[in-house]
Amino acid sequence: MKSANRELVDRLAAEYVLGTLRHRARRRFERWLLSPQVGALVKAWEDRLAGLEPRLTPVTPPAAVWRGIEDKLGLRKLQRRPAMRWLSIAASIIFFVAVGVFITRPPEQPQLTQKSFLQADPQTIYWRVEILGDNQELSLHVHVVHDLPPGKSHELWALPEGGGAPVSLGLMPHTGDHHRVLNAAQRAALGVSKQIAVSLEPEGGSPTGAPTGPVLLVAPLTRA
Amino acid sequence: MNRTDTLPPDIELAQLLQRCAASDTAAFRALYDKTSPILFARLLRMLRRRSVAEEVLQDVFVRIWQRAAQYEMGRGRALAWMVTIARYCAIDLMRRERMTLVSDDAIAEIADESAAESGGIEKPNNFDSCIEQLNDNTRKCLTMAFVEGRSHDEIAQLTTHPLGSVKSWIRRGLLALKECLSSERQTT
Repeated sequence: MKSANRELVDRLAAEYVLGTLRHRARRRFERWLLSPQVGALVKAWEDRLAGLEPRLTPVTPPAAVWRGIEDKLGLRKLQRRPAMRWLSIAASIIFFVAVGVFITRPPEQPQLTQKSFLQADPQTIYWRVEILGDNQELSLHVHVVHDLPPGKSHELWALPEGGGAPVSLGLMPHTGDHHRVLNAAQRAALGVSKQIAVSLEPEGGSPTGAPTGPVLLVAPLTRA
Repeated sequence: MNRTDTLPPDIELAQLLQRCAASDTAAFRALYDKTSPILFARLLRMLRRRSVAEEVLQDVFVRIWQRAAQYEMGRGRALAWMVTIARYCAIDLMRRERMTLVSDDAIAEIADESAAESGGIEKPNNFDSCIEQLNDNTRKCLTMAFVEGRSHDEIAQLTTHPLGSVKSWIRRGLLALKECLSSERQTT
């Protein structure tokens, strides 16, 4: 980065962290977070301005907030209490006995709707990415193994149109086929994205939630 | 009572985050119980409306769960990491909704315990002496922006200073703070 540019970007990073960079300027700046240099400037300002954090009296939020979080993340299914689980199993048995088991076909799988080839050149496809249903699920297929320095991970991003911040779609596998169900934020981001990208991140993925390492591959999403 | 004694230790939060990264929902609940009152108070301070702060708090914990794997254990500062997520979620909402000055129905219950000390979050070395060197207007503008989430326009309105002055105090204040913190670091 040239020093004049660096000064400007540092000033924007400061106002981004302070919160006074707003509206379109903030969105545009979030796209720059793809660059590791910009990410480092932001991190430095986060550390500096942490000194302004006020000491507040904690306020307990109402119980409905936790229930909302469980609903958004689908956690209640994962940790239902045993008594509730037995009740629900009993209810299911009664239901099936009462109506008879009419279900003869398996639940519908979401159909392939979009795909993308992450490639360096026409001959070298590293990953095939498939989007299933209404951005519900993601299938990742490794074609050619991409070089990965030790202590690093490859992370996949949806790039929303119009300058929205990239949204992580998780880490990239290096062998075989992988399938994952997308969360609401990822589905929303894919709904407004025409491109995806892979960046190089610290092991385990970006520490900031935005890309911090170099962008290695960018590819369009096309209708299947 | 010393408030820092009642704050959860950062190492404990870091361990809970690590367990969240492994999809441990009990750890997530424990993390929520320990930190949601702190983050909720912080959001109320910025958003000033209970119903909005409750909604944003949900988004904050959704993000914390999804990004737990991205938290670097070695970095420590788990609470600072979570508070930053909360601040950015609140700013995102204000940006989306173009929220401006709203009624302060919640502000009374979250008065600062002490404006001089941070909420259990590690300050840079010599932060206090550097912030003291700024003039009163600059310090006030920086605090209104960072702590209350106010925009340039809102700060100008509330302080009845011209918008241009507010912008330039903030710009110069940030620069002065950076220079002071880096020179203090070199001399210590």
